[in-house]
Amino acid sequence: NNEGEKQILNSQIPVTTDRHSDNSHLALQAKHTEQHEGRLYNIPLEELSAVFPHGLPHRFQQQVLTFNEARVMVRKPALELLAYLKGSNFSHPAVRYVIYGERGTGKTMTLCHVVHYCSRQGWLVLHIPDAHLWVKNCKELLQSSYNKDRLDQPLQASVWLKNFKASNERFLQEIKTQKKYMWGKRECTEEGRPLREVVEQGLARVRSASDAVGVLLRELKQQSHRGSFRLLVAVDGVNALWGRSTLRKEDKSPVCPEELTLVHNLRKMLMNDWSGGAIVTTLSQTGSLFKPSSAYTPQELLGKEGFDALDPFVPIPVPNYSPKEFESCYGYYLERRWLQHEKGQGWGGKRGMRVLGLELVSSKWAKKLDKLNTDFCTHRDAQSFAVPSVSLQGPRTFPPCASGLISSVCPCTPRVST
Amino acid sequence: MAARAGRCCRAGLSCGALLSPALLSPAVLSRAPATPRWGRAAFSSAPAVSGREGPQAREGSVRRRGRTLQFVRSAAPPRTERMAVDQDWSSVYPTAAAFKPASVPLPIRMGYPVKGGVPPPKEGNLELIKIPNFLHLTPPAIKKHCAALKDFCTEWPSALDSDEKCEQHFPIEIETVDYVSSGTSIRNPKARVVTLRVKLSSLNLDDHAKKKLIKLVGERYCQETDVLTITTDRCPLRRQNYDYSMHLLTVLYHESWKTEKWESEKSEEDMEEYVWENSHSQKNALDTLLRIKASENVSNVTKEELLASEVVKNYRNSVIALKNEGETESNISQYKESVKKLLNIQA
Repeated sequence: NNEGEKQILNSQIPVTTDRHSDNSHLALQAKHTEQHEGRLYNIPLEELSAVFPHGLPHRFQQQVLTFNEARVMVRKPALELLAYLKGSNFSHPAVRYVIYGERGTGKTMTLCHVVHYCSRQGWLVLHIPDAHLWVKNCKELLQSSYNKDRLDQPLQASVWLKNFKASNERFLQEIKTQKKYMWGKRECTEEGRPLREVVEQGLARVRSASDAVGVLLRELKQQSHRGSFRLLVAVDGVNALWGRSTLRKEDKSPVCPEELTLVHNLRKMLMNDWSGGAIVTTLSQTGSLFKPSSAYTPQELLGKEGFDALDPFVPIPVPNYSPKEFESCYGYYLERRWLQHEKGQGWGGKRGMRVLGLELVSSKWAKKLDKLNTDFCTHRDAQSFAVPSVSLQGPRTFPPCASGLISSVCPCTPRVST
Repeated sequence: MAARAGRCCRAGLSCGALLSPALLSPAVLSRAPATPRWGRAAFSSAPAVSGREGPQAREGSVRRRGRTLQFVRSAAPPRTERMAVDQDWSSVYPTAAAFKPASVPLPIRMGYPVKGGVPPPKEGNLELIKIPNFLHLTPPAIKKHCAALKDFCTEWPSALDSDEKCEQHFPIEIETVDYVSSGTSIRNPKARVVTLRVKLSSLNLDDHAKKKLIKLVGERYCQETDVLTITTDRCPLRRQNYDYSMHLLTVLYHESWKTEKWESEKSEEDMEEYVWENSHSQKNALDTLLRIKASENVSNVTKEELLASEVVKNYRNSVIALKNEGETESNISQYKESVKKLLNIQA
C-alpha cells in the first residue's frame, strides 16, 4: 500500500501540459483508438470558442473557466461513432445516429467530441445545442409570412444564426445560393450569392430569421451531395422535435411542434434523403416536456412519431463511467488540486471515493461531493470519514462537470494525452 | 368468585366430579349462604381420575369482599392438559366457533409485542378471538364431511382422469353458488349468479375472429390464461341466467366470424400488436435502400427483391421485437446490429 501511495504521490507532481502544435493535434486526434480510452485530450481555448460558440454543457463550461483548459475524456461511445464516421460512404444517404443513455452519463459530451472531431476534419457542422429551447419559453411567436399556418420564433432563430455564423465563417463565403429568395416585398437575395448574405439578412431583419434558417438548411441539404463539403447535423435533445410544446398561440390553444417553422425545417433536415454527411443526435430527458424522469430509451423519449421518423437509425448507448474512466477523472481532479484533502491522496481517500465513486454519475458528482463536503466539515473529527473534501477555496463551490475530463492515474504513461 | 364459577360452567369447563361437600369445612359452608350450592359444586377441583391430590391444591379459600364473603376459587386447569395427542379433533370443534384458548392445545401468540418482548399469549387474547379460524375444517373433518356427502353423489366418470381430458370434453365451466343459512327462508338472491368460463383455444376461431371477440368482450378476457369469463345475474332465476350466458357465448362466437364493412377502416392505433408490413418502418427502410442502390447506379431492383433479402428480414424482426416486447438492452442491440447491416455501416 505504501508503494501504491508513493506512486500516486509521485504522479501528483504537477505536470505541465505540453501543448503540441496544431498539426500534431489534428493528426493525433484522428488516431484516437481504444488505447486512448479513459484518457484526456486537450482542446486549445481559442479553438474551443470557435468550434463551440454554443453547445457545451454548462458544467463543462464552468470547468473550463476554473481550470483554464478544456479536457475531454475519450470514451467508448465517442470512439465508436468516430469509427463509423470515418468508414462511412458519403454517396449513400446520410446515416442517423442516436446517442441515448441515462441522465448525466455524458451524451452531450460525446456529441461535442464528435462535433470537435468533424470540425477539425473540415466538415460543415450544423450544431443545434438544445432543440428543447425551441419548443418552450418562447416570448415572441409571429405568424410566418411564408406559410400562414406556421409560427416563427425570431429570437431563437437569430441567436442560433449568430452562433452558426461564428463557427462556420469560411463555408458561408464559399457556398452559393441556388435560387432567388424574396424576403418580404422589397428585399431579395439573388441566385449565386454566398450564403453569408442569407445569414446576415436573418440577423439584420429579425422577423425573417426563421425563414433564413429554413433557407440555409435547404441550401445545405441540396448542395451537400456534390462533395465540396461534408455536412454534419448535430442535434442535442432531438426528442423535442416530436414531443409536445408548452407554447400557446394568442387564443391560448396549444402549439404543436410541427407548427413551428424552425422545428419543421429541422425535421426535414433530419430525413435521410440527402447524402454527403451524417446526422448525429442525442436524446435528452432533462429539459424535455411531459416526459417522466425515468425515461431514457429511444422509444420512450421519441414516441411513436419520432421513432418512425428517425427509423432506421443506429442507437448508441452511453453508460456511466467504467472503473478505469473513474480513476482517470479522479486523478485529474487530484492533479488539478480540485480535490484537496490530506487523506485524499492515500488509499483511504481513494478507497472512500471509489466506494461511492463507481456509482456516481458524471454530473451528479457535484451534488454528491457537495453533500460529502458539508458532512465532512461537520464530522471533522471522525477518523473513519476518509473521503476527500471539496476545496472551498476554488472559484466555484462545487466541482465542475466530471464527464470527460481526466487523465488516468497511471504513473508510467504520460499524464497528458493529446 | 361466584361469577367465575358461573362462567366456567357456561363454557363447559366443568371438570368432572362434583365437589363433594365433605371437602369443604362445615364452617365455610355455613358462613357463605349467598353462594349457590350448585355453583360451588360444579366448580369441582379435581377430575375423578386424578384422585385426591387435586382437591388439596385447589382448596377454596375465603375472602371478605365488602359485606359478603366470597370464595376465591383458583382456576381449573384448562382442558388442553387432558387432551390426548390422537384425539378426535372434530369433536372439539365440530362447527365454526370462536377461538377458545383452553380448548386449543397450541402455544399460539398473537398481537403486537411489547418493546423487547414477545407477542401476548393466547389466554385472554382478543385478537385471536376476533379473527375467523378454520379449526373446524381440518383435513380429517373434511374427510368426514365428504364421507357424509358421498351418499348424495354419483361416481366420477373413470374416463376423465386428467385435467386435459376434462378440458377437451367439457371446455365450458359453469360456476354457481348455493347459500344455506338458518332462517325462515331458503331463498337467497345471490344464488342466481352464474359464471361461465371457457378457453378461447377450445373455440374454433381464426385470427380475425379471435381479435374481434377479444375486442368485443373487453375486460372479460384474461390474456395470460386465455380464459373468457362471463358473469350473468340480470335474470331472477339461475336457470334463466345460465341460458342467457350460453346465448351470449353463441352470439359472440357468430358475430366474431362476421366481417363488417366498417372493419376495413381499422387503423394503426386499433391494432393489438405491431405489424411491420405497410408501416412507416418498412417504408423508410425501402426508401433508404432504393436510394442506396440509386447512388450505386444499380437499377432494376424491385421492392419485392428488397423485401425478400436477408438484411431486410433481419431488420423487420428486430423492429417487431422492439415494438411488441418493449425496449430491453438485448432488443436495442439487436436492432442496432440489424440497422448496421441494412445500411452497410462498417466500423
